[in-house]
Amino acid sequence: MSEPTVSALAIQARARRAYESGRLAFALRRAVWLVPLVWLASSGCSEPAAILAGGAGLVAAVTFCLWRGEAWRRGVAPGLLAGSIPMLAPTVLHAARHVCTGGVCLLMPTLCILAGIAGGLALGALAPRPREAGGAPFLSACLIAGFAGSVGCLIYGTIGVGAMTLGLLAGATPVLAVRRPR
Amino acid sequence: MERPPRSDLQHLMERLAEGDRAALPPAFELLWPLVRRFTDRHLPAGEAEDVAQEALLKILYRAAEFDPSRSALAWVLGVTAFEIRTARRRAFRRRETSEASSLERSRDPRPTPEEAAIESEMQALIREALGALRPEDAETLRLYAQGRRAAIAAATFRKRVQRALDRLRAVWRVTHV
Repeated sequence: MSEPTVSALAIQARARRAYESGRLAFALRRAVWLVPLVWLASSGCSEPAAILAGGAGLVAAVTFCLWRGEAWRRGVAPGLLAGSIPMLAPTVLHAARHVCTGGVCLLMPTLCILAGIAGGLALGALAPRPREAGGAPFLSACLIAGFAGSVGCLIYGTIGVGAMTLGLLAGATPVLAVRRPR
Repeated sequence: MERPPRSDLQHLMERLAEGDRAALPPAFELLWPLVRRFTDRHLPAGEAEDVAQEALLKILYRAAEFDPSRSALAWVLGVTAFEIRTARRRAFRRRETSEASSLERSRDPRPTPEEAAIESEMQALIREALGALRPEDAETLRLYAQGRRAAIAAATFRKRVQRALDRLRAVWRVTHV
């Protein structure tokens, strides 16, 4: 094959930039659908800053994985599905007008643990295997599930997030252990 | 055995949709001549390369949206055909605009007899209205129309212009409305 000319190289460079910006626009167009969910999760909270920060992390993680594509992209759907359980459960409970008054309320951390376990079971069942494609799909699924869960459970502060994370681990570990390698 | 170009293109577009950057150089090698040939066939030589570039950039910008169940060749040619249509429409509009402006240029710059008659009648009416004003007001308005000012303060001159215009309007209303 002959050496490419300067103009062909310039077109090739522009083509690469067009491809990358197209991928970023594609990723942002999909990740932006998460914004209403984050807003919903933060709407019942007296201090929404932490939830919004978690939501920004979720949108950034999803955007990055979709933009990067290939192995990273494969973890997005399982991560979102698994994370949606701890993300939405506290919001649903809040919408049902549950208010903890006086003393210590154990319902919310318990709910975060249970929702985390349910999300973890889904993550273990749906996420790509940890050793697949250098671990990138599994890592992206865990990252996105963690961010999504924290958006829901931050309503109860760091205790809620800690409880949800423990739940995710407790739910996902046994399922991953029993899943037979292909 | 070497695969036919069409399935090569399909395979490369699928890889690009997945996000495989390594597929970009071979996809470029395959797409650029294909798009060039297509635009060369439908557009004049000077325009074809620009449109081919635009089409190629659009194809790669939208590569992430490519649906692997569809034919890559049909998709690529569809995007290119759209760019060709857009270029043709643009050229058509450009031609229309330049024709309109050359018509405008070719028009005689002198006023038509009708325009000249209206203009001279209007001048006569204005002269008549100015003649009905006090000489100082007429002089103020004449200076104002020429963009000049009497040897007085700017604020005072503005006030005089305002008053003279009010009187001119009053005269105009009486004589012509």
